[in-house]
Amino acid sequence: MRQLNRRDFLRRAALGLGGSAAGWLLSACGLSVPSALPTPLAPTPKPDLPYLVVARGAAEPEELVKRALAALGGIERFVKPGNDVIIKPNISVGYYGYQYAATTNPWVVATLVRLCKGAGARRVRVMDFPFGGLAEEAYTRTDIKGQTLAAGGEMEVMSSMKFTKLELPKGRDLRSCTVYGDIMKADVVIDVPIAKQHSLAQLSCGMKNLMGIMIERQSMHFNIGQRTADLASGIPLKLTVVDAIRILRENGPTGGNLNDVQKIDTIIASADVVAADSYAATLLGLRPQDVSYIKAATAMGLGRSDLAGMKIEEIRI
Amino acid sequence: MAANKSNPFMTPKRWKAARKLVQYAALLGFIALFLASRRGGWATELVNAPLRLDPLGMLANLIASRALLTGSALALIILALTVVFGRAWCGWLCPLGTVLDIASPQRKIQPIFKEPARLRSVKYGLLFTTLVAAVFTNLTLLVFDPLTILLRTLTVAIWPAIDRIISAGESALYPVALLQDPIDAFDKLVRPALLPESPLYYRDAALFAAFFVGLIALNWIAPRFWCRYLCPLGGLLGLVSKISLVRRVVVASECTGCDACARMCPTGTIQFGKNGASDPSECTMCLECLRACPRGGETFKPVIALAKLQPYDPTRRQVLASIGAAAVGAGILNSEMAARRDDPYLVRPPGARENNLGSKCIRCGECMRACPTGALQPALFEAGLEGVWTPIVLPRLGYCDYSCNACGQVCPVQAIPPLNLDDKRVTPIGKAYIDTTRCIAWADHRDCIVCEEMCPLPEKAIKLDETQVRNADGEMVTVKLPMVNRDRCIGCGICQYKCPQSQMGIRVFTLGASPF
Repeated sequence: MRQLNRRDFLRRAALGLGGSAAGWLLSACGLSVPSALPTPLAPTPKPDLPYLVVARGAAEPEELVKRALAALGGIERFVKPGNDVIIKPNISVGYYGYQYAATTNPWVVATLVRLCKGAGARRVRVMDFPFGGLAEEAYTRTDIKGQTLAAGGEMEVMSSMKFTKLELPKGRDLRSCTVYGDIMKADVVIDVPIAKQHSLAQLSCGMKNLMGIMIERQSMHFNIGQRTADLASGIPLKLTVVDAIRILRENGPTGGNLNDVQKIDTIIASADVVAADSYAATLLGLRPQDVSYIKAATAMGLGRSDLAGMKIEEIRI
Repeated sequence: MAANKSNPFMTPKRWKAARKLVQYAALLGFIALFLASRRGGWATELVNAPLRLDPLGMLANLIASRALLTGSALALIILALTVVFGRAWCGWLCPLGTVLDIASPQRKIQPIFKEPARLRSVKYGLLFTTLVAAVFTNLTLLVFDPLTILLRTLTVAIWPAIDRIISAGESALYPVALLQDPIDAFDKLVRPALLPESPLYYRDAALFAAFFVGLIALNWIAPRFWCRYLCPLGGLLGLVSKISLVRRVVVASECTGCDACARMCPTGTIQFGKNGASDPSECTMCLECLRACPRGGETFKPVIALAKLQPYDPTRRQVLASIGAAAVGAGILNSEMAARRDDPYLVRPPGARENNLGSKCIRCGECMRACPTGALQPALFEAGLEGVWTPIVLPRLGYCDYSCNACGQVCPVQAIPPLNLDDKRVTPIGKAYIDTTRCIAWADHRDCIVCEEMCPLPEKAIKLDETQVRNADGEMVTVKLPMVNRDRCIGCGICQYKCPQSQMGIRVFTLGASPF
């Protein structure tokens, strides 16, 4: 009886293994969805709406985000009822609280979660892949988890099984990379970086923040400008909201010294990540063309960096 | 454990069932605490309790470190249990013993060879040598403690393998659209609660697995071969069992001399043809004999007497030989290279001191389990043979997370001091040095700056010097050259771990006799 049971077990195990092998074969045969659909990076803005909005002033982050989004045409312009939304803040390290400006302000994230939920989003997930420490711990220490859950969002720890290869047909140096698959499948992806000093890229902001969803980060540094722009060319971002409530001026991107943090109570919002990054560059005393990836992205036509030529609405509170 | 005849409820069958229940509960409890000792798991006082219950580990640590840890008093529970019930720990509680029971072949299999009874004295020899070596501040032999064996093997070999198997299954099935949601839900359930966020890697995992498999394979020579002949903790508890109160007694008027009990005894201590006589030092109180006896003749009752001496009991000669072996062994280990000069890559967990780690560490591997990045690895010979399987930081495999102080918190014997996070952040474990012949900026004249970017210190220990240098073609190029400020560097190793030049452009070296 015992022997038979074991045989049964083995038989079932073999069936199970066969099934998984079949799944693997199916996927290997290219039956999966082709990646990198030739969608434009940003939805076409309506002519009467500003291309980029800057909200600043001594108000709560929540107020600044709401005012900025309202001026940009409302969250409904980007999020439709029933949408699956992913918000990608910068949670690059789990070393400090948000006051150190190494990670995105938790209330900025939470406000976006609430706005998306209010617009009827089916599901709003917040995620990043820290380079220092565990995601679970970083989510907690930065308080992004606490505020996101309170706002009705979900925190997701990126799972290694979900990373998939992404072809970058528009890429000039980086032609493919491995990114978190859900980012490609979500209806809406919102990039919520914090503006930080970075010794190679000068500025860590929206496009640089996308490195958090890819595996091959170390290889980016050898041509950081072009490769960051190449990566951005393949990610279907609908909206970028730059958290400049606090900015990190030195010892970025990890931070740790409050003397390097400057509180400037500013939120930048645009459907164009290149434009958002370009404006953020000026907050750190840089010109957009000083930042190699902004320069590369502009040359590729991914977005605009001519701040003088675009319609910018500045809100002072 | 009363006489079965006088208790109509606890029949022999139920006694056996009760034992199995307790065994499985103890094993599951051990595994649960193992899982909960991950970073962000349960309270550390709770998760390392099994190791503090271990009288061998605690006694050897007490002798070698010359310091009494209050937490080690937990071991008195097991000693007290042994004084009352003999080696009940081995039969009822020891998680390794339970694993060996589960992995036993059917009893019907004929033993490959008839092992001599004298083999039982090996465990006493190992025990004495371990304890005498502890007098010489050496704890190397604790690698043979059953709890450290199981915990270490779970950490380094078994759990990572389970993680790989599950990951492979998930990845294989995930592309099937229909299965994505259930796999997603499953993945969220098991990670990070049971399995790591990202896969962890351990040096010599196969070696640890082979050791463990070998230990199980000995079961094919005799059931519980390890427990009968080799286990030093079994030896310690066996000696205490010489005075144990509750023992197996055969009711002479009932015994027909059928030897059914002797055939069933998993430790083989019931002698054939001697009317069920057995040695309390070898009896694990498993009660298989109770179940085997066709007449229910076995009883367990209180006895106040010293157990009969056995031919395999430790002799004076054996004790003296153990002392000699320990002294010579300690002498040899102390004349090894490692005792004179640190290996250049010997980087210890934060706060651990090279001059006393070896006399405190019980080789349990709890710190390696708690380390979230897999930086802590079992030493091979970096610290000499003496320091084998003590924890070292291998930045090639993981870095010391700036926001983590788990190893010191979870260490059951404070071989790694329980530093709070603020103190840990300023405790150097090594110093980073750039290899200018490998570094991408220094050697290849290309900007990289990964080490600088990764440096977690509030004022980075790695600074960039923008310099004009001549490249191989004689052209002048501007490069950001990284430099390490050794005063600030704490040796966490994230720079090395993330170095795109195959972790070779910057390396963390031992603190050793560092001038910093």
